[in-house]
Amino acid sequence: MVKFYSSTDTYSYPFPAVTLAYFLRYPNPYSTHVLSTDTIARHYDPATQRLTTIRLHLKRSKLPSAVLKLLPRSFLGASAGGDTQSYILEKSVVDVREGWMDTESQNLEFTGVLSVIERQEFRRPRSQAEEELRMWQGMEGAARRHGFIKFSGDGGVDAKIEDTGETTEVKSTVTLHSHLGEKWKKRRAVEDAAGDTSDEDQPQKMGFFKSWSTSSLQRSIELIGLKRARRSQPNAKEGMKIVLERMREGGLVAVLEGMRRDREAIAGHHPHGFKTHYGSGRGEDDE
Amino acid sequence: MSASLAPECNQVKEQYDNCFLKWYSEKFLRGTATSDECESLFKQYEQCLSKALKARGIDSMLREAREDNRENDAEHMRPKP
Repeated sequence: MVKFYSSTDTYSYPFPAVTLAYFLRYPNPYSTHVLSTDTIARHYDPATQRLTTIRLHLKRSKLPSAVLKLLPRSFLGASAGGDTQSYILEKSVVDVREGWMDTESQNLEFTGVLSVIERQEFRRPRSQAEEELRMWQGMEGAARRHGFIKFSGDGGVDAKIEDTGETTEVKSTVTLHSHLGEKWKKRRAVEDAAGDTSDEDQPQKMGFFKSWSTSSLQRSIELIGLKRARRSQPNAKEGMKIVLERMREGGLVAVLEGMRRDREAIAGHHPHGFKTHYGSGRGEDDE
Repeated sequence: MSASLAPECNQVKEQYDNCFLKWYSEKFLRGTATSDECESLFKQYEQCLSKALKARGIDSMLREAREDNRENDAEHMRPKP
């Protein structure tokens, strides 16, 4: 009983720029629900030239009213309106030599209700000419492709994207799996086996299952998650595109300046917000 | 730059993030990186952050999640050409 959402897309930006934008994607005008982003581990392996990063995001989210109806609020720790905060753990590995970046994000809380795992695979496409070049020149062709970003001479951080017509392919998948009720069932089985008949915390928790079978409740929650994933995925892409546009316009300086403005707006709930400029602002708007 | 979960870590986070962005765009993406040049700044940032994670009780939740992940990593984080 697992649901999948998957989509493919092509960014009209070179692969290295897309990987940089991935690390710089919050805050952006489409991610005003992301409150913080911290790097909690990072490892560079000089032998493989791969970079592994683990980050922790804190997001403000609104539980879909449909979920609120299904589950008691005390169980979810949300306010009456369904407002809650949740931690998202994100792992990424970049291999710039081979031209791929794999990312995986998952929610840390409510995993007993619904576990959402989002994966993205970024790939630098290989052209026919490149394939032939690789055959003849080995890795030399790959080294030349790193010339996509221009740097200012004084050592300042000011990477700019050169428009080379290069693209990056991305495949996104979201896996939704509800484990609702499974832990309780497991625990009850253990207690039964141990001859423990005390049912103290069972009646309350099992009460709302009365009219639902566990599996249909799981299915409903997975479907609600799927609907939300379908709605938020386009916003995630728009956010990346804004960061990439800023990079193309004014390099890293412009990206950082944009982030500063977005962050101010999130902190101050700017009265004229982004919505007037960018349409649907929040990534996880409720229906 | 994005904000830190812990406001008291914002300053050291920003120093680290700036160092990382410079290293990433100038060395890593060009394939000329030989080591992680921002490691010492990261240690300072990590020190600040780990206190904050502990105070909020997130550290144990993270440990569990990362242990679960290790089992899945071999399967999912491999390049699929």
